[in-house]
This record gives sequence, C-alpha cells and structure tokens, in this order.
Amino acid sequence: MTGRPRATNTNKPTGNMIRDSALGLVPETLDYYMALNRTVWECGPLTPAEIEIARLRNARTVNCVFCKSVRYDIAKADGLSEDKVAMIQDDFRESALSEREKLIVAFTDQFLNDPSGLTEQLKAELLAEFTSEALVHLSLVVAHFSGFSRCAVSLGGMPDELPIIEMSVPQ
Amino acid sequence: MGWVSSGDDRDSTIGEIAELAAPFAALYASLWTQRHVPADILELCRLRLAQLHQCAVELQRQEIGIPAKKSERLAQWDADPIFSPAERACLAFTEVYAMDTQALTDQHADAVKIHFGDAGLVLLVEALGILDGMTRLSLLWQLRANADQPHASGESL
Repeated sequence: MTGRPRATNTNKPTGNMIRDSALGLVPETLDYYMALNRTVWECGPLTPAEIEIARLRNARTVNCVFCKSVRYDIAKADGLSEDKVAMIQDDFRESALSEREKLIVAFTDQFLNDPSGLTEQLKAELLAEFTSEALVHLSLVVAHFSGFSRCAVSLGGMPDELPIIEMSVPQ
Repeated sequence: MGWVSSGDDRDSTIGEIAELAAPFAALYASLWTQRHVPADILELCRLRLAQLHQCAVELQRQEIGIPAKKSERLAQWDADPIFSPAERACLAFTEVYAMDTQALTDQHADAVKIHFGDAGLVLLVEALGILDGMTRLSLLWQLRANADQPHASGESL
C-alpha cells in the first residue's frame, strides 16, 4: 500500500465525495458510475443493512481502509449496529448473524476468493434462501463494491487507519 | 443457463432487475467510448483478466476487435515485441491488479501515466474493477461458453 496518491483531481471541489475524488478526472464515466452506485442501494430486494454487510465484508478482504471506515446512514437506520458489524469476521459462521446474513458473507467470500469453486451445498443454501432477483442484486452489490474498493487501493493515498465515519449515499 | 436465474448469459441474468440493468449497461458502454485509454487496450486487459481467471465465457466475448496475432500471443505479452509500450504498461498493471491489488506499486502506476496521464490511470482502474467483477460473476454464476464459438483470445484453457 502507498501513502502517496497516484492520481490527483485538481478540479474545483464540488462538495460531493465521489466527484471530488480521482474518479472526477474521468467525466465520461462519472455520472454513470454514480447512477449505478445509487441504484445498487435504492433498487433491488436486498435491504440496506444486507447490502452493508456484503460491502463491509468486501472492504475487509480487499483491505480498503476508506471503505472499512464508512458506515452508510441508511444501513444504520435499517438496523445494522456496530455489534453486528463486529460479527463480520473470520469466525462469522459461529456468530449471532442470522443464517441469511451468514449466506451473504459466504457469497461475498466466494466471489472474492474462489468464484469458480462454488460448492453444491452453498449453491443449494443460497437458492433456498434467496430469490433469483435477490441473488442478482447481491451479485451486483458485491461486484460493484469490489471494483470500488480495488479502485481506491490501486490509486494509493490510503492511510493505515481511519475512524468510523457515517455518510449518506452520494447523490 | 446459470443457476441464479433463468438467464443464460450476463445480460439476461442482470436483466432480472431492470432498474439495475440499465445503469450498469450505460456504465459498461461508457468504458468503450471514453477518450483516456484506447478501447483496444482495454480489450487486451479484459482478455488478460479472463485468461488469469480461466474464464471461458469472458474469453469468448469480444467487445472490440483486436488483431489475431495479439490475441494469440496475449499470454506471452511480456516477451513479445508485438505489444506496444503503452499496452505493456497496462497489461503489467492488469496482471498485478488481478493477482493482488495491494501489490501494485507506484512504478506500475507511473508506467501507465507516462502514456495516459492521471485520468488514464483512473479510467484503467475503474475499468478493471468492472471487468474483473464481471469475470468473477461469470464464473460464480457458472455461465457456459458457446461450444461452437471460438475464443476471442487464442489461449485455450
């Protein structure tokens, strides 16, 4: 990891976290990126708390310090507490997370660690718990936030640690 | 047909949720029309990701036509002079990105910026995030390659 940003947005600040980040250097994709980000949170059958569980699991694995420090207000309002966030660890299978929440973490791990190695058992458990729509939503959530986290890591400027910061979905 | 839905390819699977499919398609399309990194270089990077992930579906997909010699030699890009310095910088970045994003160095980034500037580096990492994500989903969804269609990349799995 590097402490030096590898790309810098020198445009006039807008007050929007994403527009003012390095992503703002590519206006051709920026609006589409932001639109997809909003839609991932606002459309689809997964609740904000469920989305946040997948997002934070991804952030932890990819080790994006920025992503790990963020808590989205809509997930908190949906009931995601710090006690629950603390359960999204290596031993999540033995935690007090619900079976549905554990499957969200397991699916995220499968995507990140071994996407071609899905077992018939996990597939059956996922199909028993989630609708097709929910599985597609979860898939896009994980892919989207994985890409975002890897983007942040790739562009450097990452501190070793940050305090937890609550924020709204950028509009 | 994959197992998550009745869709038999990426588009029809994502199409299960129309509200998500439209903005995703718009973002994906924008990657191939932006001005910061040539689309044929992004296609080489996309195919290299597919090779590294051993994803037959993504190897079969073709977003942009590239010369057959390049696709056939893509796995050996590091030792083949057919690849330009700009292509090599992006492919080197792509390989490390795919294997361990944390292992990317300032030198990898600087090599890309020499050719495409800060904005080109940002576009590349944004694109790799999307392309890597779609490759992983093709594998996780267990989408099947078309047996009658050749790979866009010459490397067999």
